[in-house]
Amino acid sequence: PAANGKPADYVYFDRSTSSFSSDAVPRAKAAQLKLEHYYKLSVDAAVERNSRRVELERKLQGDVLMPEERKQRQLQQLGKKESTFLRMKRTKLGVDDFRTVKVIGKGAFGEVRLVQKRDTGKIYAMKSLNKAAMLQKDQLAHVRAERDVLAESNSPWVVQLFYSFQDPLYLYLIMEFLPGGDLMTMLIKYDTFSEDVTRFYIGQCVLAIEAVHKLGFIHRDIKPDNILIDKEGHVKLSDFGLSTGFHKQHDSKYYQRLLEGSNAQPGAAANSRNSVLVNSINLTMTRKDQIATWKANRRKLAYSTVGTPDYIAPEIFMQQGYDKACDWWSLGAIMFECLVGYPPFCSQTTHETYQKIMDWQHHLVFPDDVHLSRESEDLVRRMITGADRRLSVEQMKDHLFFYGVEWDAIRQIDPPFVPQLRSITDTTYFPTDEIEQGVVEDTAPDSNSGSDLAFLGYTFKRFNMGH
Amino acid sequence: PAPGAPDGKPLYLCSPFVEAALVKGNFKTIVMLPKYVDIMEWVAMNIYDFYNNLNEFYGVISECCTNTSCPKMCAGPTLNYTWINQERKSVHLPAPTYIDYVMTWVQNLLEDESVFPTKSGHDFPPSFPATVKHVYRQLLRVFAHIYHSHYAQILHLRSEPHFNSLFAHFLAFGREYELLEMKDVKGAPGAPVGIGALYDKWREMGTVEA
Ligand SMILES: Nc1ncnc2c1ncn2[C@@H]1O[C@H](COP(=O)(O)OP(=O)(O)OP(=O)(O)O)[C@@H](O)[C@H]1O
Repeated sequence: PAANGKPADYVYFDRSTSSFSSDAVPRAKAAQLKLEHYYKLSVDAAVERNSRRVELERKLQGDVLMPEERKQRQLQQLGKKESTFLRMKRTKLGVDDFRTVKVIGKGAFGEVRLVQKRDTGKIYAMKSLNKAAMLQKDQLAHVRAERDVLAESNSPWVVQLFYSFQDPLYLYLIMEFLPGGDLMTMLIKYDTFSEDVTRFYIGQCVLAIEAVHKLGFIHRDIKPDNILIDKEGHVKLSDFGLSTGFHKQHDSKYYQRLLEGSNAQPGAAANSRNSVLVNSINLTMTRKDQIATWKANRRKLAYSTVGTPDYIAPEIFMQQGYDKACDWWSLGAIMFECLVGYPPFCSQTTHETYQKIMDWQHHLVFPDDVHLSRESEDLVRRMITGADRRLSVEQMKDHLFFYGVEWDAIRQIDPPFVPQLRSITDTTYFPTDEIEQGVVEDTAPDSNSGSDLAFLGYTFKRFNMGH
Repeated sequence: PAPGAPDGKPLYLCSPFVEAALVKGNFKTIVMLPKYVDIMEWVAMNIYDFYNNLNEFYGVISECCTNTSCPKMCAGPTLNYTWINQERKSVHLPAPTYIDYVMTWVQNLLEDESVFPTKSGHDFPPSFPATVKHVYRQLLRVFAHIYHSHYAQILHLRSEPHFNSLFAHFLAFGREYELLEMKDVKGAPGAPVGIGALYDKWREMGTVEA
C-alpha cells in the first residue's frame, strides 16, 4: 500500500455522464436495478428450493415404514417438479397464451375475463390492469399489495394466483376462476337472505378475513363485490387492491382523493350542513327512493374508479391509523345488507355516505319493517361500532348469532346455494350482458423505461401450478 | 489506457474497481446444481438469464460502441475476433455488428423450441451441451470486448459493481459446468485476452474459486 493508505494501483477516476445521450443514465440505472432484483430473487429461490427439499427429506426420514425405493421416487418427483418450475421461468407468458371466453367483470383499471390457456386447456380468470391509468392514479402500492397477498397465500379462503405477467400496456393476474359469481350479484338477485343463509356467508367470511389477517394483511376494502363463490358454493376473498401489510400505510391520501374526486357538488358538499340546496334534496327523497336509486346504481358504482365507500370503517377516513378491526366493520355492514337489503349508510352520493359513516351513532338504524332476531341485530351492532369496542374474531365466533356453528367444519358443510354449471366455462352467474364484450382497449404505450421499472418484480409464477 | 491508470494497466484491474462487486460472498449458493434437479433445465435457465442480463448492460453502452470507435471486434491489444460467415470464411467485423450477430443468434436459439424447449413433453436435443458451450464462448467474447473497450463508460455510469458481479457469476458458472475453455478466457501468448488477467486476479482474491 502507498503512503496514503491506498494500494499502489489505486486510481482516481473522474466520473462524468456528459458525453452520454440523455437516456443512457436512466437506462444504466434500470439495468442496475434489474440486476439487483435478479440476484435477490436468485438467492430467495435457492433458499426456498432448499427448504422444500429438506422438508421432504426430513418427512421421508421420519417415515420408517416407507420402502426405500418409494422414498427415492418421491425425491425424484420433487426434482421433476423443480425442473418444470425452472423451465417455466424461461417460458414467456403473454396474453396470447390465453383465449378469451368472455368478459365477466369490470373494475377500475381493467377487466376480468374468463380465459382458457391454449396449450393446457385449463380455465382461469384473468384480471387486467392498465399501467398508465394506475401510474396516473398513483395506485402502484395497491397493485403490489394485491399481487403479494395472492402470491403468498395458499389459503382456501383466498383466490389463488397462478401467474402474473405484463406487457407494455397492462399487468395481468391469472387466477383461479370462481364460477359462482360474487355476493353483490347475489344480493342484487335475492334482495335479502334469511338468517340461516346470512349465518353461512358471514360465518365463512369471518374465517376468510381471519386468514387474510394471519397472512399479515389488512384487506380494508371488503365489500360484496370482493366476496366470490367457488364451484361448490363456498366463499373466497379477492381484490386485495387496497390491502396493506400491517406496517405499511403508504397511501393515507388515497381516501382524501377519493372523497375529493367523487363529490357530486364540489365545495357545497364540504359544508353541507349549512347548505340549503343539499338539505332540500335530502328532504325530497324518501328513504325508499334513496334505496331504490342506490340499488339501480350499485353495479355502475362497482365499475368506477371511485368505488363505493359504503363498507369502509370510519377510522380509515380519519387517517389516524387503523388496524385489522376495520375489516370487521366492513363485514358488519355486509351482514346488515344481507338481512335488510341495503347497506346501513347508503345514500345518494358518496359524500353523504361518508358523512353518515363518520356519524354512525345516529345513522345506524334498523328499519321497523324488517324483522330481525335479537342476536343478529346485536352482532351487527358489535361490529359497526367504535374500533376499540368492536368484537375480536374469537368473540365473534362465540357470539350467540353463530350458536351451533362448527367453525372447523364450516368449509365442509353444504352451502345454501350451489352453482348449477353446465360446463367449466359457464358464466351464468356473471352479468356478462351488462358488460361490454369488446377487446382490451389500447392506450398509447409509454416506452419510458422508468415507468416499466415501477412494475419491476410484478411477474410471478406459482411453484404449485397444478390444480 | 484511460487517464490515471498507472503504467497502462487496464482500469478494470486497478483498485478500487477490481474489488467492486454487487454480490458479496460465494457464488456457489446460486451456481451449484440443486439436488434432484435436471442439469439441462438448470443450465438452460442460467444461460437464458446471462443472455438477458448481459443484453441489458450492452444496451446501455451500445451508443458508445460504434463502427468508428470499434471498427474491429476485439478484446485485447493484439486480439481481434473473427466471425465465420455464411461462406464459412473468417471475417473481421466492426464490434457493434459482431455483437449484434451474436446476440441475435443467441436470442433465436433461446426462442427455438427444438433447442431450448419450453413446452411440457419436449426434451432437450442431444446436441444441447455442445450448443451451450458454443453460446458461452460467444457471450464471453462480448464480456471481453466490453471490459477491453468500454470499461471507462461502465465507470462513468457507475455500473462497475453490477457488471463485475455479473461477469464473476458467468465465470463461476462456466467453470462449474465446464462451459468455458481456459484458452478462451486467457487467449494465446501473443494475443492475450484482457480479461485473462482479471480472472487470475479474481481467483487470487477469492471472488471466483481457484
Ligand atoms: N377469480 C375470479 N373468478 C371469477 N370472477 C371474478 C374473479 N375475480 C374477479 N371476478 C369478477 O370480476 C369482478 C371485478 O373484480 P375485482 O373486484 O377483482 O376487480 P376490480 O373491481 O377492478 O378491483 P379494484 O378494486 O382493484 O379495481 C368481481 O366482482 C367478480 O364478479
